[in-house]
Amino acid sequence: MDFGHTKEEEEFKKRLTAFLDRELTEEIARQNWEDKGVGPEAREFSRKLAANGFLGMSWPKEYGGQGLSPTYDFILLDEMGKRWGAHVPLDVGYTMVGHTILRRGSEELKRDFLPRIIRGEIEFCLGYTEPNAGSDLASMRMRAVEEGDFYVINGQKTFNTEAHYSEYHWLAARTDFTPNTPKHRGISLFIVDMNSPGIAVRPLWTMSGERTNEVFYENVSVPKSRLVGEKNKGFYYMMEAIDSERNHVFTPCRLTPLLEDLIQYARETRYNGRPLAEDPKIKDQLAQMAVELEVAQLFAEHSRWMESHEIPMTYEPEITKVFISELDQRLVDVGMGILNLYSQLEEGSKWAPLRGRVEWYFLHSFMTTIGAGTSEIGRNVIAQRGLGLPRA
Amino acid sequence: MDFHLTEEQKMLRESARDFLATECPKTFVRAMEKDDRGYSPEMWKKMADLGWMGIAFPEAYGGIGGDFLDFLLLLEEMGRACLPGPFFSTVVLGGFTLLEAGNESQKKEFLPSIASGDRILTLAHTEPGTTQFDPFLIQLKAQAEGKHYSLEGTKLFVPDAHVAHCLICAARTQGEPSSPEGISLFLVDSGSRGLRWELLKTVARDKQCEVRFQKVMVSADNLLGPLHGGGRGLEKVMSKAALAKCAEMVGGAQFVMDMCVGYAKEREQFGRLIGTYQAVQHHCANMAIYIEGARYITYKAAWTLCRDFPSTKLVAAAKAWGSDAYKRVAALGHQIMAGTGYMEEHDMTLYSRRAKAAEVAFGDANYQRKIVAKEIGL
Repeated sequence: MDFGHTKEEEEFKKRLTAFLDRELTEEIARQNWEDKGVGPEAREFSRKLAANGFLGMSWPKEYGGQGLSPTYDFILLDEMGKRWGAHVPLDVGYTMVGHTILRRGSEELKRDFLPRIIRGEIEFCLGYTEPNAGSDLASMRMRAVEEGDFYVINGQKTFNTEAHYSEYHWLAARTDFTPNTPKHRGISLFIVDMNSPGIAVRPLWTMSGERTNEVFYENVSVPKSRLVGEKNKGFYYMMEAIDSERNHVFTPCRLTPLLEDLIQYARETRYNGRPLAEDPKIKDQLAQMAVELEVAQLFAEHSRWMESHEIPMTYEPEITKVFISELDQRLVDVGMGILNLYSQLEEGSKWAPLRGRVEWYFLHSFMTTIGAGTSEIGRNVIAQRGLGLPRA
Repeated sequence: MDFHLTEEQKMLRESARDFLATECPKTFVRAMEKDDRGYSPEMWKKMADLGWMGIAFPEAYGGIGGDFLDFLLLLEEMGRACLPGPFFSTVVLGGFTLLEAGNESQKKEFLPSIASGDRILTLAHTEPGTTQFDPFLIQLKAQAEGKHYSLEGTKLFVPDAHVAHCLICAARTQGEPSSPEGISLFLVDSGSRGLRWELLKTVARDKQCEVRFQKVMVSADNLLGPLHGGGRGLEKVMSKAALAKCAEMVGGAQFVMDMCVGYAKEREQFGRLIGTYQAVQHHCANMAIYIEGARYITYKAAWTLCRDFPSTKLVAAAKAWGSDAYKRVAALGHQIMAGTGYMEEHDMTLYSRRAKAAEVAFGDANYQRKIVAKEIGL
């Protein structure tokens, strides 16, 4: 057992942190994190990240990567997360979709998309959820029908965050309509140009001010070459990708800035002449959050380690996801409690403490245990896939 | 980053599990709860022959020279089996304190005989005044009288004092009653005049004692570590003891989860296996989360401690999480095992009682969070 980094990894981290300290700003971090739309600054930052060799460390050389261990990507995610909860600006392509293209895509798709992902040039949005297919994703209805060299696609997706600035839609649609086919066996994955005729994107605004979208397809033609892997295997590809996606998306370090802000606030803010940091209850609560953040980091590191060594994962990434998303809510609750009356003040308001960030995290925290799968479904996965409990 | 266990570590774990499955069935655990001695000397000898007592001692002192992580894997299995007896007292509280604070001749005298299973030790540390855990609250007085010290006072929660050949007593030789400075450690022969023990009745039915020192005379040669400077060694031993307790808790909690998952796959209600109900599945998933977290943070804290990297926060975090985790796993276990698990004869009760004893040993979560708070600048 070894909980340290190699000399090369330390070296990489040193170069990376120097770069991030210089180039990454709060504005760039928040453009992606809050789904405000990745603007020119974040796009430019993304290209610089790639140009300096910080993107694609763990990707195969033939597609523009450097062929090293996934550990490097995780160091990148951690170091970015420590700075305003930042993520790789074009993260859906980089942390999710790209891995499935690498695993399942045709050689043509790999050559077309992977180098551009690694150069930080393109972004994807996930097209999974539909109004009637949430937790029960396999019941999706969007139809893709073969016509000559194309699939013609009709239907509606919802909660497709990033759809308004992505170049590509990573779309799951039904391709087998024979009755009695189990619903998860008739789904395929496509890469669709977002500027294809027949696609309409409408904004949905969340309670924390982020934009997500509904996406409508009306007779959208997609070349057959844009089918990912085999027809009707899409749902399996989505499920096999989930573990790695959990490992890449749920980064405990992204909660570090919030905890540090709260500690700082407790030290600097007085009540009755004494710093809040001397209040035993506040001390206890923040200490518990620090403990849980250590635990969260270890959950993440353990399942990342499994992924890096190609050890089959069952419930480990799901534990990471469930725990971190719920820790987010507990931390926010502690924070709002410490800010007390001031917790109501939004960013931009007179008197708003900590730039109103805690109030924003509060609003956002309602999503964390829902997005990418609810905690309830997550616990089913842990129990059934991990502990072998029977399905109903 | 590497979570691999070495082949040797895997073998150690397997052989420990096999040995304890045979030698330490639950009938034995229950018998030892009622037994005055609380352990079996025959089994003790077998454990010594397997090299368990000396697993983490250097070879020069009769040990095997394994590292602390090997030792924790062994303790995990002991926690799983609810192993009764003075292993923890002898090796962790006795052996590690000697390793930490002892001079060469003390180590040479004691460690090989611990490794061979011939000597049982314990640490007399907490006192009636320790109404909240505090490693430095030491009021028992040691006064110099010529070439001897005279020890006077009462120790509480001293594990296995009734069978120990030797007690390490933390005494105050200087300073305020709760100061880390001015504490001295003494090796005290259990046959010393003026030394009396009495067994306490405890929730885990482990053998914890009150030990009274009435003018117990100890030779100055039996001072362990520097005069007035025993606090530092004590602190290090408390860290190791907390992590060793964490490992035991992980093993115990793992057993509870395995038992409950097995039960949920067999027990039917309303015509269905109870394991198909989401409420039961979620209880089990929560157990997995508590246990996995406890396991990794224990390993990481141990890895950090052994490399002499700053480890105060991690050790405290491990014991805070582990204490809460075992307690909650036990509570969830009772919920799944329901009425049958509430019966005294059920295995569940062995674990929930031990979860409480382990939680309060070497600082509960509230205590540990105070340390964490200090470490994060509060």
